[in-house]
Amino acid sequence: MKRLDLRSVFYTLAALAVLCAIGGLSVVGLGLYNVSARAGHFPGVPLILHTTYNQSVKLRAVSEDEVPEFTEPMVALGAKHFDAACRVCHSAPGHDKTATMEAMVPEPPHITAAVEGWQPRHLHWILYEGVKMSGMPHWPADRPDEVWPTVAFLEAVQNGMTEQRYDALTAVEKGDPRSFYYCASCHNANGVSGNQRIPRLDILSEEYMTRALLAYRSGARDSGYMEHAASEVPVAQLPAFAKQFAALPATGEAGPTTSLTIAGERIAMEGVPGSDVPACAACHGPWSEPIDPAYPSLSGQYRPYLEDQLRLWREGVRGGTRVARLMHQAATRLTDAQIEAVSAWYAARQPAKIDVLPELSD
Amino acid sequence: MLSAQDLPQPFDRKLAHALPLRPGTDHLKAAPALAAFGFLTACVGPQSALDPAGRDAETLADLFFWLVAGAVVLWVLMNGLMFYAWRAKPRPISPKTGRWLIFGGGIVFPTVVLAGLLSYGLSVIPDQRAPGEGLRVEITGEQWWFRVAYWPEGATEPIHSANEVVFPVGQRSELTLKADQVIHSFWLPSLAGKTDMIPGRVNRMSLEPTEPGEFRGQCAEYCGESHAWMAFTALTLMPEEFDAFLQDLAAPAVPPDTEVGQAGRTAFMAHGCGGCHTIRGTPARGNVGPDLTHVGSRLNLAAGALDVTVPDLAAWITDPKAIKAGAKMPAYDHLDPDEIVAMAVYLEGLK
Repeated sequence: MKRLDLRSVFYTLAALAVLCAIGGLSVVGLGLYNVSARAGHFPGVPLILHTTYNQSVKLRAVSEDEVPEFTEPMVALGAKHFDAACRVCHSAPGHDKTATMEAMVPEPPHITAAVEGWQPRHLHWILYEGVKMSGMPHWPADRPDEVWPTVAFLEAVQNGMTEQRYDALTAVEKGDPRSFYYCASCHNANGVSGNQRIPRLDILSEEYMTRALLAYRSGARDSGYMEHAASEVPVAQLPAFAKQFAALPATGEAGPTTSLTIAGERIAMEGVPGSDVPACAACHGPWSEPIDPAYPSLSGQYRPYLEDQLRLWREGVRGGTRVARLMHQAATRLTDAQIEAVSAWYAARQPAKIDVLPELSD
Repeated sequence: MLSAQDLPQPFDRKLAHALPLRPGTDHLKAAPALAAFGFLTACVGPQSALDPAGRDAETLADLFFWLVAGAVVLWVLMNGLMFYAWRAKPRPISPKTGRWLIFGGGIVFPTVVLAGLLSYGLSVIPDQRAPGEGLRVEITGEQWWFRVAYWPEGATEPIHSANEVVFPVGQRSELTLKADQVIHSFWLPSLAGKTDMIPGRVNRMSLEPTEPGEFRGQCAEYCGESHAWMAFTALTLMPEEFDAFLQDLAAPAVPPDTEVGQAGRTAFMAHGCGGCHTIRGTPARGNVGPDLTHVGSRLNLAAGALDVTVPDLAAWITDPKAIKAGAKMPAYDHLDPDEIVAMAVYLEGLK
């Protein structure tokens, strides 16, 4: 037998490599690959892609310990967000998919089918990370913590949410969908959302809300919910919404005094001596003098919202305006117990705006 | 009204003074001059252990001079003997004399001298820790400033101040020394020795000034990036002056009666300064940063980094970290410069 000539092997392989490269470049450069959705995938490809997706999610999902307890307000918030951001592709419980979405490749599954077989921790990963080349976007904000309410909603869908319940959760008052009523669909027309997970706006100033909306719009402040909402309306319209909510009177009653609120009051009024925690009241009221309207009132704000925000401040990830650094410094050394106490106290206060600063005389 | 453009840049000036070797100087040539300068400045001035103005500092200075004098005598003696042995070519001594010399000069003499010095050194320690005679001052090392609280005899509540300690002349004052986050050291060389301030511990010392004057103290234990900027002023007053001083310090703030000062007060109260600072007589009662009730009458600002002037105050409010690396106070450069100047005028006016 003839001895294997290494030189001819090398030349053959090199020639093959060049041919492959030319072939590949032709497919890309000359448009030989047909991207038509009508033509679909080659047989077997969907199975490979879907298996890759399933296994990738299962490998990377967060641990079971990180899944919080789901509450009704979380489901309600998740439903509203789903309705605004996800329904266009995945339809909704009891509703049909549009013909257009059925023609998508890959076809986005109806939400009741999409959630099947996944645990909450998997759903969290899919929502936060998104799925490349499938049309599924990642969460628009760098906030894994706030994905859970939407996961809570998806779990409710898994448990058989009815059409009536879905419609009730996502009801929007009639009117231009890009108007004040769009904001009111979550925050309510009187600024009191009634949902512990959605902040009340009746206590806030026009300046604070305008700055917050612009920060959401520019990405300076992270929230998948609010960044989606603020990007659905023209930026020039945002200050008008702030003005409209700011004009509302603060309504509602004070909550009961408990040992927790008493501890919280001490922190809010005096800070924590020896721990570099300043007195919250100096910026957020109650304060006997006018306060810079760039600072939000907290009196009557919902406790879960306050706790979430304080944790974000402490971690240093809460964005906002240029005054955000003041709050980063203030929250650095808050303990979990202090966050709970001070949030409980502010939540139990009579809902109120704070006085605003008169123009300084020059 | 003052505007921000009129202000000089105080921290540039400060830095220029603080740098012993300026860029571009020929350091080798400058070294002997600097060394001589160093020797001389260490002998006198507001921060010298060799220029005592307190009973304890006197004792320490005496201790120092006795030890130096003794060391000089011994040095001359030893070198004299060595010179004698090597250069004077003496005749050999007998083994017996040699044994006595070694025993006497090598064992008995050092034992007697060192025992004497040790008893002298130990004997002065109790005086340094003698109990105070009435006033107690609690001083806490913070990053990077000194929290000061006066407890006059029988007081149930302290009188707060910062970065400035005032003592009565001729009385022994008790010092309670604490620390917030990291170890600091309280050192006021003109008046007394040095004591560490340790988080979670309460240390004590006492001191008795012998003459009125103004002195400088310095944190003497590395405590982070702005350790070198952590100084304080000490003032010693005659007892009746001291009583008047404490009475003034205990009184609520008297705000400046000018339009700008009032605007500054409004701005101070509006932007949340009261969350960290106390100004007695106003809603501001924060406890994180220095008490500012009488900041306008203090002798330094930002623990010796700046002077209590409107430009320095404005520069500090605008960007504390530019003056003092790592300062905990956030910058307020998002505010209108006129508003910052107004605040500076208000604070400077808090006499």
